[in-house]
Amino acid sequence: MKKLKYGAVTLLFATAGLFLAACSTSSSPNKATTSKTETTKDASSFTYAISGNPASLNPINTSDRWGLTVTNMIYSPLVAIETDGTQKNILADSIEAAKDGLSVTVKLKQTIKWSDGEKLTADDVVFTYTQKAKKENGNADKLWIGGKPITIQKVDDYTVKFSLPEPSAAAVNNIATETFIIPKHIYKDVADFSVKELPVAPVGTGPYKLKTYKTGEYLAFEANKTYFGGTPAIKNVTLRIIESNDTAKVALQKGEVDAAVVLPSAISDLDSHDITVYPYSETRVGYLGLNTKSDALTNVKVRQAVLYALDKSELNQAAYLNKKYYSTPNSFLPPSNPFATESVNTYKTNAQKSKTLLAEAGVSDLKLNIGFSATDPAQTVQATLIQQQLKKAGITVTLEGGDGTAIFSELKKPGSTKYNLFLGGYIMGNDPDLYAALFKTGGSSNYFQTNNAKTDQLFDKAAVETDPTKRKALYDQLQKEVADDARIYPIVDNKKILAVNNRIANVKKANLVPIYTFEDLSKLTIK
Amino acid sequence: MASYILKRVLQAIPLLLIISFIVFSLIHLAPYDVIDSITTPNMSNDQVALLREKYGLNDPFIVQYVKWLSQMLHGDFGYSLINQHSITSELAVRLPNTIRLVLPAYITALFLAITFGLTASANKGKFLDRAVDAIASIGIAVPTFWLAMILIYQFGYRLNLFPIIGMHTIGKENELADFLAHFTLPYITLTVAFFPELTRYIRASANEQITEDYVTVQSAFQATRWEIFSRHISRNILIPIVTQIGLALPMLVTGAIITESIFSWPGVGPYLLSATKSLDYPVIMTLLLLSATLVILGNLLSDVLYAIVDPRIRRGGKAS
Repeated sequence: MKKLKYGAVTLLFATAGLFLAACSTSSSPNKATTSKTETTKDASSFTYAISGNPASLNPINTSDRWGLTVTNMIYSPLVAIETDGTQKNILADSIEAAKDGLSVTVKLKQTIKWSDGEKLTADDVVFTYTQKAKKENGNADKLWIGGKPITIQKVDDYTVKFSLPEPSAAAVNNIATETFIIPKHIYKDVADFSVKELPVAPVGTGPYKLKTYKTGEYLAFEANKTYFGGTPAIKNVTLRIIESNDTAKVALQKGEVDAAVVLPSAISDLDSHDITVYPYSETRVGYLGLNTKSDALTNVKVRQAVLYALDKSELNQAAYLNKKYYSTPNSFLPPSNPFATESVNTYKTNAQKSKTLLAEAGVSDLKLNIGFSATDPAQTVQATLIQQQLKKAGITVTLEGGDGTAIFSELKKPGSTKYNLFLGGYIMGNDPDLYAALFKTGGSSNYFQTNNAKTDQLFDKAAVETDPTKRKALYDQLQKEVADDARIYPIVDNKKILAVNNRIANVKKANLVPIYTFEDLSKLTIK
Repeated sequence: MASYILKRVLQAIPLLLIISFIVFSLIHLAPYDVIDSITTPNMSNDQVALLREKYGLNDPFIVQYVKWLSQMLHGDFGYSLINQHSITSELAVRLPNTIRLVLPAYITALFLAITFGLTASANKGKFLDRAVDAIASIGIAVPTFWLAMILIYQFGYRLNLFPIIGMHTIGKENELADFLAHFTLPYITLTVAFFPELTRYIRASANEQITEDYVTVQSAFQATRWEIFSRHISRNILIPIVTQIGLALPMLVTGAIITESIFSWPGVGPYLLSATKSLDYPVIMTLLLLSATLVILGNLLSDVLYAIVDPRIRRGGKAS
């Protein structure tokens, strides 16, 4: 027994000693470790810091930011939408909507090859859309109109025709964009397309091929030599996952990564000799929402009174520091949207009018609360300012900062009255019909809980109006009505700010676009 | 001994069941679920409902719990609801990474603590004692994330001595020097995080021993202070140290959550953090059960080590 004791204790200390010996070598600055950044200064690779794992790498159902970013590198859509709303053909050679609004015909470019050398044909397009239109695969929303799916058939090897169950003006936009074509010959035997990662190594038409994916660490890509846009100039691209914003910033400063998204407040720390910032619009609208079902705000005059008491430019200056980093929306559509109009009531600050409206409504001593995400610095600043601005009009606001997801889960509950006011944001896309989810009665994201027959009708009419001029007029009217209804106060289209190391050139050519960051990574070069 | 260990292990099973039930209830009480965390304004209600159905989130609470439990009992930890990766294979990679970081840091901290603690105790009330106490107080007061950021800024950025993200440079996965370079800063951060409390604990234990009769006796026999400390006190404080080691076992899983997240160390920390943010319950449950199991095992380990270290306990009163 005695021996056992000494044996055990000695063993304990001996192993500990070994560990310590192993550690002590590392705690002295090791000469061999000064290879630090030379590796990342590699002339053939570009590293971009992303903030989390892609939730889905399946092109059929991916809908999260990083999943779409990766998908856009490996695959291509028929058509891309630019930030200003114009269309750019990618795999499509031409796209034509029928006059009756019941069908869309797409001709494909005939020289496109998959990364395994096979040719892209109409079969691939039909295969992709057939899978995507299945509800159980989890991303069929845009391919259903009025409860029926859009069908697709092959006309010849390079032509497909989409047939719509009822006329839709938004069809071209909704069908041709954001669907990434996958090769039939690779995926034809996959039984289940509702998964987050397909069980076959990806083969695409995009500029890059996925080489390795280590969850929580990085995704490594190599150039696709058969890319129809020309062989990418940079051989390797790495998306490095860095969840901490601060760490990403320092990694960018020291050159461990070449590009990262930064906040306006961090820009002054970056050395402009090494790093250039590129602000670009994500067509996001950050807004103050008014819960029209909550007792205090059922009367439209009271809602308008609240909006007249606010000062938009002060809110934005405080949260985004510089006009370079944001633009100001007038209506519920982002300023760069081709349908956005300025002829709506923008509720220019007018404290007197606010008071008059409250008096007309017979309301005095109005008390409201505001829900916002406490971890979002911009929202926190704006909520505090809103509290101050409304105080001037005699409206008392209590701040209810919380978890963003929890707040919006609450707002989604029909009849919820927990929050009077709330701060949020959306990136809905290009066609104004997509915004119906937010503003139509019973819309899936109608957080404002409005029930407004007038705007509902306008949405329905504009959705099927195929004459562009008439359609624009309908949406102008619609934006005006929604503004008069005082359910939403659009505050900001805040820009994403991509900071890039100066050794990387042609960032503008690669074209910074919402969600995907780079429209075409193949255009980047290294000096 | 073996029957004692078996008894303790069997006792742990109902405890783990209760813990799992409580955690599952808490996740269920949260104001949203995993689907809410991935819902965007563009998703239709149909699609959201479809996802809820698919993951069985519409079932009553008890049904969900029993389903999860039976899966667990079949040795299947399940899949993340966010990206459908197998939790087992994810942990097989991440756990060793975390242990690689926490274990050396903890052992270093323990040695520092023993050295400092005994030094302080031997010089009770003098300058050295006060200095150690001050260092420990400062150490306890310094938040880990702040220290990590300071190290990153000074040694990673200003002096550019060490890389600051991940565990390897991509493409150098098998190089020891590259690993050590990545390892240094998080290791220092954790060592500083662990050692102050241990130091205070050991200092207090040693101070307690000094007041014991045997020390008075040894002093009366003209033993030097060094002899008393090295031969007697250091052996007697092994017991509280062993307790600490046992209690530190769960740290191998959850000991470095903040540090790992800041350094993008591919361990358990970032995995648990992002799962918690999105209420990815299979991942949360697995990790919490794992750390609860380690707490229980750690306690058991403490008791067993006690017996090994201390003959008085081992002989269970058989000593004359």
